[in-house]
Amino acid sequence: MSKIAYIKPDSVGDAIEILADKGSSAAIIAGGTDVMVDLRSGEITPEYLVDISRLEELKGIRMENDELVIGAGVTLSEIYNSDLLAEYAPALKKSAYNFASAQIRNIATIGGNVAHCSPCGDTIPPLVIHEAEVLLSGKDGQKRIPIEQVATGPYRSFLEPHELITAFVLKPRKAAFADFKKIGRRKDLAISRLSMAVMIDKSDDGTISFMRFSLGACTPTPHRMIPVEEFMVGKKPTEKLLFEGGRLLAESMIEITGRRPSIIYKEPAVQGLFVRMLHPVVN
Amino acid sequence: MDKESVRIEFTVNNKEVALDIPADATALHVLREMLSLTGTKEGCGIGECGACTIVVDGKAVNSCLMLGAQLDGRMVTTVEGLATESGLHPLQEKFMEGHAVQCGFCTPGLLMSSHALLEEKENPTRAEIEKAIAGNICRCTGYQQVITSIETAVSERLDGENR
Amino acid sequence: MEQQFRVVGNSVPRSCSKAKVTGEIKFAADIKLDNSLVLKTKRSDQPHALIRSINVEKALAVEGVRSVFTARDIPGKNLLGIINKDQPLLAEDRVRSLADAVALVVADTEEAAERGAAAVEVEYQELEAVFDPVEALKEGAVQVHEKGNLLSCRKVVKGDVEAAFTSAYSVIEKEYTTSSIEHNYIEPDAGAGYVDENGCLVIYASTQNPHYDHKEVVGLLGVADDEVRIIQATTGGGFGSKLDLNVQGFIGLALYHLKCPVRYVYSREEAYLATAKRHPFVIRVKTATDKDGRFIALQMRAVCNTGAYGSYGMAVASRSAVHATGPYAIENVDVDVKCVYTNQTFCGAMRGFGAPQMALAHESQMDLHAQALGLDPLAIRRINGLRAGQTSATGQLLTASVGFQDCLDAVAPYYEDAKENWLSAPTDPFKRRGIGIGGMWYGIGNTGVQNPSTARVEMSPEGKVTVFTGCADIGQGSTTILAQITAEVLGLGHDDITMVVGDTGCTTNAGATSASRQTYISGNAVKDGAEKLANVLLTEAVDRLRAPKNSLHFVDGHVAVSIAPEIRVSVAKLAKRIHDKGGTLSWQGFFDPETVPLDPETGEGVPYATYAYACHMAQVEVDVLTGEVDVKRIVAAHDVGHALHPGNVVGQICGGVAMGVGFALMEEFEPGKTESMKDYHVPTVSDVPEVVPIIIESPEPSGPFGAKGVGEPALIPTAPAIINGISSALNKRIYDLPANLERVIEASIQAGHFRVQE
Repeated sequence: MSKIAYIKPDSVGDAIEILADKGSSAAIIAGGTDVMVDLRSGEITPEYLVDISRLEELKGIRMENDELVIGAGVTLSEIYNSDLLAEYAPALKKSAYNFASAQIRNIATIGGNVAHCSPCGDTIPPLVIHEAEVLLSGKDGQKRIPIEQVATGPYRSFLEPHELITAFVLKPRKAAFADFKKIGRRKDLAISRLSMAVMIDKSDDGTISFMRFSLGACTPTPHRMIPVEEFMVGKKPTEKLLFEGGRLLAESMIEITGRRPSIIYKEPAVQGLFVRMLHPVVN
Repeated sequence: MDKESVRIEFTVNNKEVALDIPADATALHVLREMLSLTGTKEGCGIGECGACTIVVDGKAVNSCLMLGAQLDGRMVTTVEGLATESGLHPLQEKFMEGHAVQCGFCTPGLLMSSHALLEEKENPTRAEIEKAIAGNICRCTGYQQVITSIETAVSERLDGENR
Repeated sequence: MEQQFRVVGNSVPRSCSKAKVTGEIKFAADIKLDNSLVLKTKRSDQPHALIRSINVEKALAVEGVRSVFTARDIPGKNLLGIINKDQPLLAEDRVRSLADAVALVVADTEEAAERGAAAVEVEYQELEAVFDPVEALKEGAVQVHEKGNLLSCRKVVKGDVEAAFTSAYSVIEKEYTTSSIEHNYIEPDAGAGYVDENGCLVIYASTQNPHYDHKEVVGLLGVADDEVRIIQATTGGGFGSKLDLNVQGFIGLALYHLKCPVRYVYSREEAYLATAKRHPFVIRVKTATDKDGRFIALQMRAVCNTGAYGSYGMAVASRSAVHATGPYAIENVDVDVKCVYTNQTFCGAMRGFGAPQMALAHESQMDLHAQALGLDPLAIRRINGLRAGQTSATGQLLTASVGFQDCLDAVAPYYEDAKENWLSAPTDPFKRRGIGIGGMWYGIGNTGVQNPSTARVEMSPEGKVTVFTGCADIGQGSTTILAQITAEVLGLGHDDITMVVGDTGCTTNAGATSASRQTYISGNAVKDGAEKLANVLLTEAVDRLRAPKNSLHFVDGHVAVSIAPEIRVSVAKLAKRIHDKGGTLSWQGFFDPETVPLDPETGEGVPYATYAYACHMAQVEVDVLTGEVDVKRIVAAHDVGHALHPGNVVGQICGGVAMGVGFALMEEFEPGKTESMKDYHVPTVSDVPEVVPIIIESPEPSGPFGAKGVGEPALIPTAPAIINGISSALNKRIYDLPANLERVIEASIQAGHFRVQE
């Protein structure tokens, strides 16, 4: 009775040819953890399932010419267990710790998490603070776009149906302080109500010399919050400053989203989580 | 190449199987409905309860979130494959002795998650045990007797090795 | 209690646990019947509407669809309900909620059944719907049922509350609300059936009450009792929701017409949509104390929303009214609980039957008064806590097994230690700690109505014992406990007893696995049957051993003389002799707790023969910046009478605590919005705290070997203890459940712990 066909391409090139041919009637299975849910609910009704979960070309985490390259097919478990990421992108590693469940981390991929374009994708804020670029392969060849351009809105992707994310290229950084935090309705197996990622370095005089900050799950697409970074840099981190930075963050968020019902919680909570996350930086 | 039926060959509980499956069948469907391995349960169908957990190439996964086609070439263990000819798996024994089983519907999934953990880690901490089973919802036990049973299995294994 | 027991009191291996860990055991969805057809229902997509027409032609045209049934195809009475009959299996002229089934599709495969259900065309005339129970009670409100929206009202009145309020030292009035809760047993409802060689419809079902299912299916089909047989399949949890019919009626209807095997397995989504929920409550309560902290009056007006159908709603209203005082002696009481129809998904039984909702109110009031008077929360509970010799609000004299004070005493050292060493220990500057106490009482069995259990205990001429009981083990372990009770009486090992459970073809009615009643009531019924069997064995032994009956006892499969145990005869030998003489070795046991129906105006009566008591202490840490709550530990003391299987009791306590954590912090079912487990949050292992279970044994004279019950009590005090802990941590009270992120952060801000920058 099944009307869906299964295709397992042997290479990225092969996959792109298939995707170019099938267009939007194909759904890509990388880890499958989102696609399978959408298939069950009827959210998507593809005619073809293109299984790229075993393409070696999409695997691996490595340094290439001072850039940190993460294959799109790397699983969340692999991210959590990577020594390279622990050193050069620790916030990303942390985002994998509370990602869904062990079972899901074992198959869900970073490429899938980004391509799904959920505002709540936990790997996105850490990728944003590392100013990650996304390597796309399509029928017209390869492209490199900023991570923030992948989603054009909630669950809406910039990608053409024939395009495939093959890797992420991050600016590695051994920041003095890096973290990822999320709030969910329970401690595990939770979708982020809000999430954030940060990297901070301080000067010898104790002022913040470098900061990258991204907010997730609050805006239609995760955002680097440059006004907050600019406000904080050059200042000595005090508790008062954190509260002020949190306030600015909330304002920036509301500027993007407007006052939706969920703001009643999110307005104070982004401030609170900002203070909580950055508190270790105070002296 | 594209067809609505897919031929897969894989190893389940040390037995090789080959069969044709519908392209969109989940691994859970293949195990339960086509291979009659009904020990693996469907609790939610969307990876939110862990009752369908199986071990594929050493890793715990939700079989409801995996295509049957993806089983091709894999080594799969289900709850039916835990016991050996020499008897029950230590986790199975400890779950029984430690009253970790009430209604039993989540039990296969909990066993498979903890089995994958014990295969990976010699002496997991309590936090690691909790992390390994956080994707397995149990509505009966409150988990405490489950954790204790897993801890007992770990400590007895270590004792056995040190003896 | 100095009496020595051999079998009860030991945590023997649980029945079926081996088959459960190997995956061999068959739950309903695992049962494979050859050439089985698949069922699926077309459900309402309107919360309230008249049905203009149902057109099944397109559904029948779907490839693989065999039949489509509607209300017209029901040969018997199309009206179901545990207490009041108001719920059609298939809607006739109107639908009252999104859960209502309109047509039943039978097909070759799941996919065909689904496509068939989607192809059933229903033409509706939309009606205005009402979802709020308070609105539903107002004059001019939309009527969900012809008889009106008020399903039932339970009053409990004693003394003179108004006079007491006038003379009181402290009066506090507050309103509390609780959420609708999904049971979320891990096994979605399922069943399968076939027609046997005698034409009997055999239905395997995941159920908490096979004998009730039997009665309903027989009525629905208008057939004789022996034409339907319900067999309880291994059941993956129930918590109250599997007391209602889920798939049984649909399977029966399909078998009746088609005479070929069928199965029906709810997806999780359908289980969410179509099965009973916990009643949400709105509780307004006013309490008064004297200057010493003694509660002198309680007035309560509560409304519970039963949704479109009654199910166990009347029982929930009744029990909640009786439990409104909590485990405290209050002289002046005026309680009125109304159960109201709306167009929400119907609500039924769920672990505690309204008592958990009441506990939020009475335990919060207890702490509010303690605060007002500068009393310690534990101290005010000691002052007011029930003791033997006191009288309840319904006028019932509590004579024995009143272990509430013992529970408070057991928690006290943990409480003092936590106050001294934990509460003030250095912590994160933005986290605050609190300790909360929650108390509860819980009447065992149904409220002021007969609720008997029966069982048959048989011995073969070879001395093998079989117990036949309708008591559904849904995972809590009743089968193990009933075997222990039988073994204790007959001097056998628990594994010498063969248990035949939940099969209406050969067991007799044991009533529902609900109301924490099976150990106490079915335990007594089994004990009664076993004692009758024991009696004939002893009578026979008198003759063999030439010793008076009262000098004999059972030991290791023998009857022996107590003072000279070497003088003995095997039970098998005695059985053979009785059998050969034509005597009977098959005995029916019976037990019905002594209750007196409640007066409709005053609630006076004896609602339960005995009560369980408990006290929980919660240690919570609140993140004042984010509203996150971390429950660090729950100390849970439970008076269970006598723990016949301590491992099971601990399991119930830990499981109850976990469910209580969900009730307190995260669970909220929103009909129409909560569709799958993505939308509903049940605690994971990471959310559940360390539990310190403490078993208090205050033997119940009428209980089997002193036992009472623990299934529901385990859940009841947890949420109030957590809420009291949060309130103490924030110095700001939360009155609405769940205390989710939004409510906690709001309380934190209002209390000034987190000054949001403006």
